[in-house]
Amino acid sequence: MAMLHDAWLIARKDLKLEIRSRVALNQVVPFALLVLVLFAFALDPDRGLLEKATPGLYWIAVLFSGLLAMQRSFAVEAADGVTDALRLSGLAPAGIYLGKTLSVAVQLLVLEVLLGVGVAVLYGTSITGWLLLLATIVVATAAISTAGTLFGVVAAGLRVRETLLPLLLLPVLAPVLIGSTRAFEAALSGTPSEGWPWVGLMSVFAAVYVVAGIFGFGPLMEES
Amino acid sequence: MTTETAGPFEASERGPTSTGSRTTMILGIVTLLALGVLVLFGLILSPADENQGDAVRIMYVHVPSATLSYVGCFMTAIGSAVYLWRKSQWWDLVAYASAEVAALFTAFTLVTGMLWGRPTWGVFWVWDARLTSEAMLMLLLLGYLAVRGLAADYQVRAKRAAIVGLLLVPNVFIVRQSVQWWRTLHQKPTLTLAGAHIQGLMLFSLFTGFVAITLAFVWMVIHRFRVAWLEEQVDAEGLDVAIAERRAEGVAS
Amino acid sequence: MIAAVIVAAATGTWPYVAAAWAVVLGGMGIYALVTVVRGRRLSKRVPPEKRRWS
Repeated sequence: MAMLHDAWLIARKDLKLEIRSRVALNQVVPFALLVLVLFAFALDPDRGLLEKATPGLYWIAVLFSGLLAMQRSFAVEAADGVTDALRLSGLAPAGIYLGKTLSVAVQLLVLEVLLGVGVAVLYGTSITGWLLLLATIVVATAAISTAGTLFGVVAAGLRVRETLLPLLLLPVLAPVLIGSTRAFEAALSGTPSEGWPWVGLMSVFAAVYVVAGIFGFGPLMEES
Repeated sequence: MTTETAGPFEASERGPTSTGSRTTMILGIVTLLALGVLVLFGLILSPADENQGDAVRIMYVHVPSATLSYVGCFMTAIGSAVYLWRKSQWWDLVAYASAEVAALFTAFTLVTGMLWGRPTWGVFWVWDARLTSEAMLMLLLLGYLAVRGLAADYQVRAKRAAIVGLLLVPNVFIVRQSVQWWRTLHQKPTLTLAGAHIQGLMLFSLFTGFVAITLAFVWMVIHRFRVAWLEEQVDAEGLDVAIAERRAEGVAS
Repeated sequence: MIAAVIVAAATGTWPYVAAAWAVVLGGMGIYALVTVVRGRRLSKRVPPEKRRWS
């Protein structure tokens, strides 16, 4: 269980760093809210379009602002040669992967809660189907952070990483966007039974990426 | 590029001066013959469909292209897996070559699909489950090829590409599943592209299409593999030369 | 009469069929050509013992 211990160490380090630097708080959260406001500008707020499109707009906002948080998670490492330090630290690569994933997931959860309040207030969406909404948020967050961390390290340390990560990650996350949006739609329209298969699909996705990350992180960390 | 300045190994008696060999020469001739047969049957001898008319002829190139785009994707995943397991450059380049050819066939599938959609659906694009999955496959392959094009050490690039390549197959499965659910939740598939009753000369034309286009695929993967192999040799050679030059400088100063 | 045949062929679905086949056959041809040319250029810069295709 050294792996889980290492994961905890890494997650705690990353989150501490985030809390101290306040970049996530001062830049990523305002960006997420900005996206919500921009959607309102793009779609006429008086015709009920915003309320109808809430699930899609919400998850697009999560994806784009989450992307910023993930970019940061690896920019922090690459900056001062911390990657080398991590490699030499003797921590299990799988533990590093899980720790990074956990810290990204926590940041995403915070973003999602804030964005949820945002859409409820700004778009006037009435929120129903709590159980399905919460389950969707949990599995979608797991899916986004597991895949995001793995592709984050694929793109890490390269000059093109800012453009490479979205190109790699967004097509991969397309099923998560479809799934989370449909599940939210089902919950908000009062037909939660239609939403549960999507929760299952996203769980499979997250499971695939956890396994891929645990086994793939070792070789990726070795010499990059 | 250094196209005019011939290298030191030009017109060598030993070894071929291109990516061709006896085997690929024969393969190429057979491919051309098969493509000729495909044109003959697909465009001239086979009848028009009762419902779709001549538009059905697009099927003879569209369906094999689609199948081979997935085959190429699988080959990339297999090559990536074996590379990660054995660190064999051969398999890494197999993955690379098949990914590029798969991307080409995905592009064919998308273009022919749209050209088929216009006369049958009236529009170039509908959010049909299969067409949408194919578009997502294209994006996934472009991501993989972007990693291949990174300016990094061979080891770093190959390793990262192998991870992305290995994940292509689960990604494709999940994408296909989600897109299928997504479309069938609200409506049934708009049109089953492959007509319900394909028989006789039409079936034979489709079969010929599979044979001819598969042969072409194999030929292209082999040649692309050899180009990739030569590129790696040139890169390694270039590095050797650079190191030698640096050493010579060091001695001179 | 030939003109009538050409007009008949140019309307309806034939343009789409022709375009689709041209894209596939032409695309494969261009890709094959580019690959072969690249291979020939690169061959000149690689020692012969490293390019034996068996």
